[in-house]
Amino acid sequence: MADANFKKTIFDIFVDGAKKGWAIVTSSTIPNVVMAFIIIQILNVSGLLKIIGKVFGPVMGLFGLPGEAFTVLLSGWLSMGGGCGVAAKLFSDGTLNTTHLVILLPAIFLMGSQVQYLGRALGTANIQGRYYGIMIGLSILNAVISMFIMRLVAAFYI
Amino acid sequence: MSDNKLDVKVGVGGYIALLFAILFFSGVVPLLAKYAGDWVKAVDFSSLLGSFGKIAGAGDFRGSGGSGAKDGFLFALTLVPAVMFALGVVEIIDWLGGLKAGQKILTPVLRPLLGIPGLCGLALISSLQSTDAGAAMSKGLKEDGLITEDEKTIFMMFQFTSDATITNFFSSGAAIIVLVTPVVPPIIAISFLVMFLLKIFAANVMRVYVKKFGGEA
Repeated sequence: MADANFKKTIFDIFVDGAKKGWAIVTSSTIPNVVMAFIIIQILNVSGLLKIIGKVFGPVMGLFGLPGEAFTVLLSGWLSMGGGCGVAAKLFSDGTLNTTHLVILLPAIFLMGSQVQYLGRALGTANIQGRYYGIMIGLSILNAVISMFIMRLVAAFYI
Repeated sequence: MSDNKLDVKVGVGGYIALLFAILFFSGVVPLLAKYAGDWVKAVDFSSLLGSFGKIAGAGDFRGSGGSGAKDGFLFALTLVPAVMFALGVVEIIDWLGGLKAGQKILTPVLRPLLGIPGLCGLALISSLQSTDAGAAMSKGLKEDGLITEDEKTIFMMFQFTSDATITNFFSSGAAIIVLVTPVVPPIIAISFLVMFLLKIFAANVMRVYVKKFGGEA
Protein backbone atom coordinates (compact mmCIF):
# COMPACT_ATOMS: atom_id res chain seq x y z
CA MET A 1 0.00 0.00 0.00
CA ALA A 2 1.62 3.26 -1.14
CA ASP A 3 -0.35 5.49 1.23
CA ALA A 4 0.14 4.49 4.84
CA ASN A 5 -3.00 6.38 5.86
CA PHE A 6 -5.31 4.74 3.35
CA LYS A 7 -8.92 4.44 4.39
CA LYS A 8 -9.65 0.95 5.61
CA THR A 9 -12.13 -1.11 3.66
CA ILE A 10 -14.44 -3.74 5.10
CA PHE A 11 -11.95 -6.36 3.91
CA ASP A 12 -9.11 -4.78 5.88
CA ILE A 13 -11.34 -4.76 8.96
CA PHE A 14 -12.17 -8.44 8.52
CA VAL A 15 -8.48 -9.28 8.17
CA ASP A 16 -7.72 -7.27 11.35
CA GLY A 17 -10.29 -9.32 13.25
CA ALA A 18 -9.10 -12.60 11.73
CA LYS A 19 -5.55 -11.70 12.83
CA LYS A 20 -6.85 -11.22 16.37
CA GLY A 21 -8.48 -14.63 16.04
CA TRP A 22 -5.18 -16.15 14.93
CA ALA A 23 -3.39 -14.50 17.84
CA ILE A 24 -5.94 -15.86 20.34
CA VAL A 25 -5.84 -19.33 18.78
CA THR A 26 -2.05 -19.57 18.88
CA SER A 27 -1.56 -17.92 22.27
CA SER A 28 -4.55 -19.41 24.08
CA THR A 29 -6.73 -21.98 22.32
CA ILE A 30 -4.03 -24.36 21.05
CA PRO A 31 -1.97 -24.41 24.28
CA ASN A 32 -5.12 -24.86 26.38
CA VAL A 33 -6.49 -27.66 24.22
CA VAL A 34 -3.13 -29.44 24.16
CA MET A 35 -3.01 -29.17 27.95
CA ALA A 36 -6.56 -30.51 28.21
CA PHE A 37 -5.75 -33.51 26.04
CA ILE A 38 -2.64 -34.24 28.12
CA ILE A 39 -4.71 -34.06 31.33
CA ILE A 40 -7.20 -36.53 29.88
CA GLN A 41 -4.33 -38.74 28.74
CA ILE A 42 -2.90 -38.73 32.29
CA LEU A 43 -6.33 -39.57 33.74
CA ASN A 44 -6.82 -42.28 31.14
CA VAL A 45 -3.42 -43.92 31.44
CA SER A 46 -3.49 -43.82 35.24
CA GLY A 47 -7.03 -45.16 35.38
CA LEU A 48 -8.19 -42.13 37.39
CA LEU A 49 -10.82 -41.18 34.80
CA LYS A 50 -12.78 -44.36 35.50
CA ILE A 51 -12.61 -43.68 39.24
CA ILE A 52 -13.77 -40.07 38.76
CA GLY A 53 -16.58 -41.40 36.58
CA LYS A 54 -17.72 -43.71 39.38
CA VAL A 55 -17.31 -41.26 42.26
CA PHE A 56 -19.05 -38.34 40.56
CA GLY A 57 -21.57 -40.48 38.69
CA PRO A 58 -24.44 -39.87 41.15
CA VAL A 59 -23.90 -36.07 41.36
CA MET A 60 -23.46 -35.53 37.62
CA GLY A 61 -26.41 -37.84 37.02
CA LEU A 62 -28.65 -35.08 38.41
CA PHE A 63 -27.82 -33.08 35.29
CA GLY A 64 -28.13 -36.03 32.93
CA LEU A 65 -24.34 -36.36 32.68
CA PRO A 66 -21.91 -39.23 33.25
CA GLY A 67 -19.47 -38.88 36.16
CA GLU A 68 -16.54 -38.22 33.82
CA ALA A 69 -18.18 -34.89 32.89
CA PHE A 70 -16.94 -33.59 36.24
CA THR A 71 -13.45 -33.32 34.70
CA VAL A 72 -14.91 -30.91 32.10
CA LEU A 73 -16.25 -28.56 34.77
CA LEU A 74 -13.14 -28.77 36.93
CA SER A 75 -10.72 -28.09 34.07
CA GLY A 76 -13.12 -25.40 32.77
CA TRP A 77 -12.89 -23.68 36.15
CA LEU A 78 -9.11 -23.52 35.66
CA SER A 79 -9.41 -22.44 32.02
CA MET A 80 -12.36 -22.27 29.63
CA GLY A 81 -10.24 -23.54 26.76
CA GLY A 82 -9.16 -26.50 28.86
CA GLY A 83 -12.76 -27.34 29.77
CA CYS A 84 -13.88 -27.20 26.15
CA GLY A 85 -10.87 -29.27 25.07
CA VAL A 86 -11.58 -31.95 27.68
CA ALA A 87 -15.23 -32.05 26.58
CA ALA A 88 -14.22 -32.45 22.93
CA LYS A 89 -11.77 -35.21 23.80
CA LEU A 90 -14.31 -37.13 25.90
CA PHE A 91 -16.73 -36.74 22.97
CA SER A 92 -14.31 -38.29 20.48
CA ASP A 93 -13.68 -41.14 22.96
CA GLY A 94 -17.41 -41.77 23.10
CA THR A 95 -17.60 -40.97 26.83
CA LEU A 96 -19.79 -37.91 26.17
CA ASN A 97 -22.46 -37.59 23.47
CA THR A 98 -23.98 -34.52 21.80
CA THR A 99 -26.66 -34.20 24.50
CA HIS A 100 -23.94 -34.02 27.15
CA LEU A 101 -22.05 -31.34 25.19
CA VAL A 102 -25.22 -29.22 24.91
CA ILE A 103 -25.79 -29.50 28.68
CA LEU A 104 -22.17 -28.57 29.48
CA LEU A 105 -21.53 -25.74 27.01
CA PRO A 106 -22.78 -22.60 28.83
CA ALA A 107 -21.75 -24.03 32.23
CA ILE A 108 -18.07 -24.18 31.17
CA PHE A 109 -18.15 -20.41 30.58
CA LEU A 110 -20.37 -19.38 33.50
CA MET A 111 -17.84 -20.87 35.97
CA GLY A 112 -14.93 -20.74 33.53
CA SER A 113 -11.34 -19.54 33.98
CA GLN A 114 -12.20 -18.15 37.41
CA VAL A 115 -8.90 -19.13 38.93
CA GLN A 116 -7.09 -16.71 36.61
CA TYR A 117 -9.94 -14.17 36.49
CA LEU A 118 -9.72 -13.64 40.26
CA GLY A 119 -6.62 -11.64 39.44
CA ARG A 120 -7.37 -10.42 35.96
CA ALA A 121 -10.95 -9.29 36.63
CA LEU A 122 -11.63 -8.90 40.35
CA GLY A 123 -8.06 -7.92 41.23
CA THR A 124 -7.81 -5.37 38.43
CA ALA A 125 -11.14 -3.79 39.41
CA ASN A 126 -10.09 -3.59 43.10
CA ILE A 127 -13.00 -5.72 44.28
CA GLN A 128 -12.95 -6.21 48.06
CA GLY A 129 -11.56 -9.61 49.00
CA ARG A 130 -14.59 -10.41 51.14
CA TYR A 131 -16.70 -10.71 47.97
CA TYR A 132 -14.49 -13.27 46.19
CA GLY A 133 -16.15 -16.27 47.81
CA ILE A 134 -19.72 -15.27 47.03
CA MET A 135 -18.78 -14.29 43.47
CA ILE A 136 -17.27 -17.72 42.79
CA GLY A 137 -20.23 -19.35 44.54
CA LEU A 138 -22.75 -17.47 42.38
CA SER A 139 -20.81 -18.40 39.24
CA ILE A 140 -20.93 -22.09 40.14
CA LEU A 141 -24.64 -21.72 40.98
CA ASN A 142 -25.11 -20.18 37.52
CA ALA A 143 -23.34 -23.17 35.96
CA VAL A 144 -25.64 -25.55 37.86
CA ILE A 145 -28.79 -23.66 36.78
CA SER A 146 -27.58 -23.57 33.17
CA MET A 147 -27.12 -27.35 33.10
CA PHE A 148 -30.75 -27.84 34.14
CA ILE A 149 -31.91 -25.39 31.46
CA MET A 150 -29.70 -26.92 28.75
CA ARG A 151 -30.94 -30.39 29.66
CA LEU A 152 -34.42 -29.24 28.62
CA VAL A 153 -33.00 -27.66 25.44
CA ALA A 154 -31.21 -30.91 24.58
CA ALA A 155 -34.37 -32.93 25.21
CA PHE A 156 -36.22 -30.67 22.78
CA TYR A 157 -33.73 -31.16 19.93
CA ILE A 158 -32.30 -34.64 20.46
CA MET B 1 -25.52 12.49 29.85
CA SER B 2 -23.42 15.64 29.75
CA ASP B 3 -20.15 13.84 29.09
CA ASN B 4 -19.69 13.75 25.32
CA LYS B 5 -17.52 10.65 25.44
CA LEU B 6 -20.32 8.62 26.95
CA ASP B 7 -23.05 10.01 24.74
CA VAL B 8 -22.69 7.82 21.66
CA LYS B 9 -24.29 8.60 18.34
CA VAL B 10 -25.54 5.57 16.50
CA GLY B 11 -26.76 5.65 12.92
CA VAL B 12 -29.36 3.28 11.53
CA GLY B 13 -26.47 1.32 9.99
CA GLY B 14 -25.28 0.36 13.48
CA TYR B 15 -28.64 -1.16 14.36
CA ILE B 16 -28.74 -3.02 11.05
CA ALA B 17 -25.22 -4.35 11.72
CA LEU B 18 -26.24 -5.53 15.19
CA LEU B 19 -29.34 -7.24 13.82
CA PHE B 20 -27.24 -8.83 11.09
CA ALA B 21 -24.74 -10.14 13.66
CA ILE B 22 -27.50 -11.74 15.72
CA LEU B 23 -28.97 -13.38 12.62
CA PHE B 24 -25.57 -14.43 11.24
CA PHE B 25 -24.44 -16.27 14.37
CA SER B 26 -27.85 -17.43 15.62
CA GLY B 27 -28.14 -20.52 13.45
CA VAL B 28 -31.76 -19.74 12.52
CA VAL B 29 -30.91 -18.96 8.88
CA PRO B 30 -30.72 -22.64 7.81
CA LEU B 31 -34.27 -23.03 9.15
CA LEU B 32 -35.39 -20.17 6.89
CA ALA B 33 -33.68 -21.89 3.95
CA LYS B 34 -36.48 -24.46 3.94
CA TYR B 35 -38.89 -21.74 2.84
CA ALA B 36 -36.70 -19.16 1.12
CA GLY B 37 -34.22 -21.45 -0.65
CA ASP B 38 -30.60 -22.34 -0.02
CA TRP B 39 -29.25 -18.93 -1.10
CA VAL B 40 -30.05 -17.44 2.33
CA LYS B 41 -27.30 -19.64 3.78
CA ALA B 42 -24.87 -17.09 2.32
CA VAL B 43 -25.49 -15.12 5.53
CA ASP B 44 -25.07 -18.02 7.95
CA PHE B 45 -21.89 -18.50 9.99
CA SER B 46 -21.85 -22.30 9.99
CA SER B 47 -22.69 -22.61 6.31
CA LEU B 48 -19.86 -20.25 5.34
CA LEU B 49 -17.45 -21.90 7.77
CA GLY B 50 -17.85 -25.02 5.62
CA SER B 51 -16.06 -28.25 6.32
CA PHE B 52 -12.69 -29.91 5.94
CA GLY B 53 -12.24 -32.47 3.19
CA LYS B 54 -12.20 -36.11 4.06
CA ILE B 55 -9.03 -38.18 4.03
CA ALA B 56 -9.42 -41.67 2.54
CA GLY B 57 -13.16 -41.35 2.76
CA ALA B 58 -13.41 -40.95 6.52
CA GLY B 59 -12.45 -38.24 8.99
CA ASP B 60 -10.70 -34.91 8.39
CA PHE B 61 -6.95 -34.37 8.79
CA ARG B 62 -7.23 -35.04 12.50
CA GLY B 63 -7.97 -38.66 11.65
CA SER B 64 -9.46 -40.87 14.34
CA GLY B 65 -8.10 -42.89 17.22
CA GLY B 66 -5.39 -40.36 18.13
CA SER B 67 -4.63 -39.48 21.74
CA GLY B 68 -2.65 -37.22 24.02
CA ALA B 69 -0.85 -34.00 23.12
CA LYS B 70 -0.55 -34.89 19.42
CA ASP B 71 -4.28 -35.49 19.05
CA GLY B 72 -4.94 -32.28 21.01
CA PHE B 73 -2.74 -30.26 18.70
CA LEU B 74 -4.39 -31.49 15.51
CA PHE B 75 -7.83 -31.03 17.06
CA ALA B 76 -6.95 -27.46 18.06
CA LEU B 77 -5.88 -26.78 14.48
CA THR B 78 -9.36 -27.74 13.26
CA LEU B 79 -10.73 -24.84 15.34
CA VAL B 80 -8.57 -22.14 13.76
CA PRO B 81 -10.90 -21.25 10.84
CA ALA B 82 -13.95 -20.85 13.10
CA VAL B 83 -12.14 -18.48 15.47
CA MET B 84 -10.53 -16.39 12.69
CA PHE B 85 -13.84 -16.17 10.82
CA ALA B 86 -15.94 -15.32 13.89
CA LEU B 87 -13.57 -12.62 15.18
CA GLY B 88 -13.24 -11.16 11.68
CA VAL B 89 -17.02 -10.76 11.53
CA VAL B 90 -17.22 -9.36 15.08
CA GLU B 91 -14.58 -6.77 14.03
CA ILE B 92 -16.72 -5.75 11.04
CA ILE B 93 -19.87 -5.50 13.17
CA ASP B 94 -17.95 -3.28 15.61
CA TRP B 95 -16.63 -1.14 12.72
CA LEU B 96 -20.14 -0.68 11.34
CA GLY B 97 -21.31 0.56 14.75
CA GLY B 98 -23.12 -2.62 15.74
CA LEU B 99 -21.60 -2.79 19.21
CA LYS B 100 -22.28 0.93 19.77
CA ALA B 101 -25.90 0.22 18.86
CA GLY B 102 -25.93 -2.49 21.51
CA GLN B 103 -24.50 -0.01 24.00
CA LYS B 104 -27.17 2.56 23.07
CA ILE B 105 -29.95 0.02 23.56
CA LEU B 106 -28.48 -1.06 26.92
CA THR B 107 -27.95 2.42 28.39
CA PRO B 108 -31.55 3.11 29.52
CA VAL B 109 -32.11 -0.41 30.85
CA LEU B 110 -28.96 -0.84 32.97
CA ARG B 111 -30.44 0.94 36.01
CA PRO B 112 -33.61 -1.20 36.27
CA LEU B 113 -31.90 -4.39 35.05
CA LEU B 114 -28.67 -4.32 37.08
CA GLY B 115 -28.93 -1.33 39.38
CA ILE B 116 -25.96 0.40 37.77
CA PRO B 117 -25.90 3.71 35.82
CA GLY B 118 -26.42 3.74 32.05
CA LEU B 119 -22.93 5.14 31.52
CA CYS B 120 -21.58 1.64 32.27
CA GLY B 121 -22.78 0.60 28.79
CA LEU B 122 -19.40 1.05 27.10
CA ALA B 123 -17.57 -0.91 29.80
CA LEU B 124 -20.24 -3.62 29.60
CA ILE B 125 -19.87 -4.02 25.85
CA SER B 126 -16.07 -4.03 26.23
CA SER B 127 -16.28 -6.68 28.96
CA LEU B 128 -18.03 -9.00 26.50
CA GLN B 129 -14.89 -8.89 24.38
CA SER B 130 -12.08 -8.58 26.89
CA THR B 131 -11.84 -9.50 30.57
CA ASP B 132 -9.02 -7.02 31.10
CA ALA B 133 -10.72 -4.11 29.33
CA GLY B 134 -13.98 -4.58 31.25
CA ALA B 135 -12.23 -4.76 34.62
CA ALA B 136 -9.95 -1.79 33.93
CA MET B 137 -12.84 0.39 32.71
CA SER B 138 -14.96 -0.52 35.76
CA LYS B 139 -12.09 0.49 38.04
CA GLY B 140 -11.80 3.75 36.10
CA LEU B 141 -15.51 4.52 36.46
CA LYS B 142 -15.24 4.14 40.23
CA GLU B 143 -12.05 6.23 40.45
CA ASP B 144 -13.72 9.00 38.42
CA GLY B 145 -16.62 8.95 40.87
CA LEU B 146 -19.10 7.90 38.17
CA ILE B 147 -20.18 4.74 40.01
CA THR B 148 -20.14 3.79 43.70
CA GLU B 149 -18.16 0.95 45.27
CA ASP B 150 -21.33 -1.14 45.54
CA GLU B 151 -22.29 -0.50 41.92
CA LYS B 152 -18.80 -1.58 40.88
CA THR B 153 -19.18 -4.80 42.86
CA ILE B 154 -22.56 -5.58 41.21
CA PHE B 155 -21.11 -4.76 37.79
CA MET B 156 -18.07 -6.98 38.30
CA MET B 157 -20.32 -9.87 39.35
CA PHE B 158 -22.09 -9.45 36.00
CA GLN B 159 -18.72 -9.55 34.21
CA PHE B 160 -17.07 -12.29 36.29
CA THR B 161 -19.46 -15.12 35.40
CA SER B 162 -18.83 -16.00 31.76
CA ASP B 163 -16.33 -13.15 31.37
CA ALA B 164 -15.37 -11.89 27.89
CA THR B 165 -18.38 -13.86 26.69
CA ILE B 166 -18.10 -13.22 22.94
CA THR B 167 -14.34 -13.76 22.60
CA ASN B 168 -14.17 -16.80 24.87
CA PHE B 169 -17.28 -18.42 23.46
CA PHE B 170 -16.01 -18.23 19.90
CA SER B 171 -12.37 -19.11 20.64
CA SER B 172 -12.64 -21.79 23.35
CA GLY B 173 -16.25 -22.73 22.67
CA ALA B 174 -15.47 -23.44 19.01
CA ALA B 175 -14.29 -26.87 20.19
CA ILE B 176 -17.84 -27.75 21.21
CA ILE B 177 -19.85 -25.52 18.84
CA VAL B 178 -18.52 -27.32 15.75
CA LEU B 179 -19.62 -30.66 17.22
CA VAL B 180 -23.08 -29.55 18.36
CA THR B 181 -24.23 -27.25 15.53
CA PRO B 182 -25.23 -30.08 13.14
CA VAL B 183 -27.66 -31.41 15.76
CA VAL B 184 -28.76 -28.19 17.48
CA PRO B 185 -28.40 -25.40 14.87
CA PRO B 186 -29.27 -22.43 17.16
CA ILE B 187 -26.81 -23.56 19.87
CA ILE B 188 -24.90 -20.24 19.68
CA ALA B 189 -28.05 -18.16 20.16
CA ILE B 190 -29.42 -20.38 22.93
CA SER B 191 -26.09 -20.40 24.79
CA PHE B 192 -25.74 -16.61 24.63
CA LEU B 193 -29.31 -16.17 25.87
CA VAL B 194 -28.78 -18.54 28.81
CA MET B 195 -25.42 -16.97 29.72
CA PHE B 196 -26.86 -13.44 29.60
CA LEU B 197 -29.90 -14.24 31.70
CA LEU B 198 -27.69 -15.90 34.32
CA LYS B 199 -25.19 -13.02 34.29
CA ILE B 200 -28.10 -10.70 35.05
CA PHE B 201 -29.38 -13.14 37.71
CA ALA B 202 -26.03 -13.27 39.52
CA ALA B 203 -25.65 -9.48 39.40
CA ASN B 204 -29.07 -9.10 40.99
CA VAL B 205 -28.29 -11.53 43.79
CA MET B 206 -25.17 -9.40 44.37
CA ARG B 207 -27.36 -6.29 44.24
CA VAL B 208 -29.43 -7.61 47.16
CA TYR B 209 -26.26 -8.71 48.99
CA VAL B 210 -24.42 -5.39 48.82
CA LYS B 211 -27.58 -3.54 49.81
CA LYS B 212 -27.35 -5.41 53.11
CA PHE B 213 -23.62 -5.86 53.60
CA GLY B 214 -22.09 -3.37 51.14
CA GLY B 215 -20.20 -0.12 51.51
CA GLU B 216 -16.54 0.84 51.37
CA ALA B 217 -14.13 -1.63 52.96
